[in-house]
Amino acid sequence: MAVFALRRLLSAIPTLLIVTLIVFAMVKLLPGDPARLILGQEATPQALSELRRSLGLDRPLPQQYLSWLTSAARLDFGTSLTDHSSVGRLIAQKLPVTLELSLFAMLISLLISLPAGMISAVRRSTWVDRLLTLLALSGISLPNFFLGILLIYLFSIRLAWIPASGYTSLMENPGRNLLLLLLPAVTLGVGSAAVLTRYLRSSLSETLNQDYVRTAHAKGLAARQVISKHALKNALIPFLTAFGLQLGGLLGGAVITEQIFSIPGFGRLLVDAVFTRDLPVIQGVVLVSAVAVFLVSFLVDLGYAAVDPRIRYH
Amino acid sequence: MRRVHFLTAILSAALLTSLASAQTLTVGLDADPPKLDPALSTALVDRQVMNQIFDKLLDLDVNLKVIPALATSWKVTNGGLTYTFKIKSGVKFSDGTPLDAAAVKYGLDRNRTLEGSARKNELSSVKDVKVIDAQTVQLSLSQPYGPLLAVLTDRAGMIVSPTAARKAGTDFQNNPVGSGPFTFTSRVRQDNITLSANKNYWGGVPKIDKLVYRPFPDGDVRYANLLSGAVQAITPIDPKDVSKLTENAKFSVLNYPGIGFQGVWFNVTRAPFNNKNFRQAVAATIDREAIAKSIFYDTVTPAAGPFPPGTAAASSSIKVQKPDIALAKQKLGGKPLNFTLLTSPGSINTQMAQVYQAMFAQAGINAKIEQVEFGTLLDRADKQDYDALMLGWSGRPDPDGNIYDFFVTGGTNNQAGYSNKTVDSLLAKARAQNAMSARVATYNVALGTIINDTPYTWVYFQRNLVASVKGMVGLKPIPDGILRFKDVDLK
Repeated sequence: MAVFALRRLLSAIPTLLIVTLIVFAMVKLLPGDPARLILGQEATPQALSELRRSLGLDRPLPQQYLSWLTSAARLDFGTSLTDHSSVGRLIAQKLPVTLELSLFAMLISLLISLPAGMISAVRRSTWVDRLLTLLALSGISLPNFFLGILLIYLFSIRLAWIPASGYTSLMENPGRNLLLLLLPAVTLGVGSAAVLTRYLRSSLSETLNQDYVRTAHAKGLAARQVISKHALKNALIPFLTAFGLQLGGLLGGAVITEQIFSIPGFGRLLVDAVFTRDLPVIQGVVLVSAVAVFLVSFLVDLGYAAVDPRIRYH
Repeated sequence: MRRVHFLTAILSAALLTSLASAQTLTVGLDADPPKLDPALSTALVDRQVMNQIFDKLLDLDVNLKVIPALATSWKVTNGGLTYTFKIKSGVKFSDGTPLDAAAVKYGLDRNRTLEGSARKNELSSVKDVKVIDAQTVQLSLSQPYGPLLAVLTDRAGMIVSPTAARKAGTDFQNNPVGSGPFTFTSRVRQDNITLSANKNYWGGVPKIDKLVYRPFPDGDVRYANLLSGAVQAITPIDPKDVSKLTENAKFSVLNYPGIGFQGVWFNVTRAPFNNKNFRQAVAATIDREAIAKSIFYDTVTPAAGPFPPGTAAASSSIKVQKPDIALAKQKLGGKPLNFTLLTSPGSINTQMAQVYQAMFAQAGINAKIEQVEFGTLLDRADKQDYDALMLGWSGRPDPDGNIYDFFVTGGTNNQAGYSNKTVDSLLAKARAQNAMSARVATYNVALGTIINDTPYTWVYFQRNLVASVKGMVGLKPIPDGILRFKDVDLK
C-alpha cells in the first residue's frame, strides 16, 4: 500500500509539469499583451516597454517558464502582474474559501443524493422514483446561476434571512461563515446531487438484481440490512468516481457561483487573471488546482479499496 | 466606591454612544481596484478609493471648474511655462509626517519618474519641480501645456507620504498613506477595501467612521446587494434598473452628466474603411436618439463630438445628426459594403452591436458582428487588425484629454490610424494655449475636419448613475464620476 502511494505521488510530478507547460503555452499564445492590458488606455510605447521590462516579459519564453518553474519548486509563486501581491499569499487567502465551499457543497450533495438514490433504486418505477427522477433531471437542467439568483431573491431580498453576498472566515466568526456559504453551497450542491442521484440509482438497482442479493433475502436478512450492508457498498464504486470528479471540478473554483455570491474564491481569481493575462497567478492557481484534483483522485482510489475488498493495490 | 460607579457609568455611556454613532457605509463598485498607488494606477476604479485616501493639489467642482485643494492659490507666468502653487499649511499625513512643499515635490517627482509610472505621459511637459519655501512649489515646463491644471485634479496631483513611500517602495499600493479624509485600514482582494475616518483631517473629520468598498462586476448582483441592504450605495447602475430604483421609496438615484463618450472606430488604413464615403455612409445610418431610448432608457445623451454638454469645450454648433438613409445610400454610390464589427462581451455591447447591424442594413450595408474578450480586442485595435470597432473613452476633465491622443498622428488612442497634418498642428496649438476660449475655438476648427473625415463616429455620452439608500446625504454630483465621501452622512 505504501509503495502504491509513493508510486502514485511520483507519477503526479510529470503530469503536473506537463499541465503547467501547456497552460504557459496557451496563455502566451492568446492575443493580448499583459503590459498593454495593465496600462489600458495610458499605454504610450515608452510606458509599455518600461513595464514589460520591469515585469520580465521581454525575456525569451523558455527563460520565463524555467524561471517560474525553479521558483515554484521552492514554493515561491512570484507576484501578480496586475497588482503586485504575492501569488502565494493570494492562493493562501483564497484556497481555504474554495476548499470550504466545495466541501460544504459536496456534503449537501451527499445528504441529498444518498437517500434519494437509494430510495429511487429500491422503489424503482413507483411514483416516488418518478418524482425523484423528475427532480433530478430538473436539477441537472437548471443552470446554477439561475438557481443562485433565485435563492438570493428569496432569502436575501424577500425574506432578508441571509445576507446577499460576502465572506467571513471560519476562524473569525463560524456562525456567519456558515450562513454566508449556505446559499452558494446549496446552489452548487443541488446540481451535483442531481447527477449523483442518477448514478446511484442506476448502479444500485443493477446491484439489487444480482444473485447474491436474492440469496441474502432468501437467507432471511432484513431488507434494510441487505441494501445497506451488502448492495450499497458494491454499488458505490461508480458513485465514488463521479463524486471524486465533481469534487475535483469544484476545487478548480466555481466561477459563476462565486461571481453571483461575491465569494473571493479561486474561480474568480483565475478568470480575472486570464482576462488580464496575469501569468503568475494563472500558473499558481492551475498548479494548486491540479494538485488538489490529484489528491482527490488518490483518495477516491483508496476509497475503492475500502469499499470493495477485491481491489488491492500493490 | 460611588466614584467608581460614577466613572463606570460615564465610561460606559461614552462607549455606548460612540458605538451607537459608529457609522459604516458600504459602497458597491463594478470592479476591484487593482492598484491604490497614484503613480502606478491605470484603472479608473482605483480613483474612487484613492480620492478618499489622498488629497490632491487641485480638485473639480460640479461645473468642472478647477478649484483649490492642497494648493490654496496658484499663478501661471512666463507665457505658461511656470506654475507657482501655494500649499496649505499645517497639513499632516496620517502617519504624522508633515505635508509641505518638499512632500509635494516628492509626490510630483515620483509620478514623473517612478519606473512603471502611468503618469509620465500627462506630466511629460514638466521639466522641473522646485521648492521655493516650505509652502511654495514651482513647476517649470519645457513647453506650454494648457491641460496641466486639470491633470493635477486627478492622480498626477495626488500627494503621497514620502516617508511611507520610500519605506514601502513598489509595495506602497498595498499600504497607501496619504493626508485625505480617510485612512487605509485593510483590503482583501476581490472582497473588500476598508477605510477609516481620518480623525486629524484638516477639512474636518468625516461623519462616516468606516468606509468599505466591495466589488460586484455583475450589474444584477450589484443591484441585488443594494436591495438586500448589504451595501448602501452602488455605482454604476445597469440602465434597466434605474427606473425601478427611482420608483423605490427606500432609495434615491443620482443621474448626472459625465465626461466620457462611446462610439465606433473605423480602420482607415485598409479596405473597406480607407474609403471616406463608406465611413460617412455608416455614420449616417445611426439613430442616436433611438439607441439612447431603447437600450439605455434615456440614461445617456446622444453625441456628435468628443465634448459632452457641460464641459468647457462643448459646442452648440456641433449638432447630433438625425439618421439619413438616403444620404447613406448616396455615399455608397451603388457599391456593396460588407464588414465585420468588433466588440467585447457584455449585454449592453451585444444589444448595441445588434442595433447597429439592423440600422446599417437599412441602407443595404452588411455588417457581421464579432465578439472577442477585451484583451484580445485591445490587441486587435493596436495592430489595426479590424474593420470597425466599438470602443469609447471614460473621459478627462480637460478637453485635450478627450481629443489629442485620439486623432493626432501616432496617438496612443488613435485606433483608426488616422493622420492629418492640419489636425495635428491644430491639436498641438490648442494644447499649448492657456486661455480656454482660445483653445475651444481651435478645437472647433479641428473638429470640422475630423467630423467630416469620420475616422470615429460618436454615438452617446455616458452619464454617471449612482444609487443610494435614502438616508445618505452630502454626495456632490461632480461629472468626473468620483464619489467624494468627506462630506457624506448616513442619517
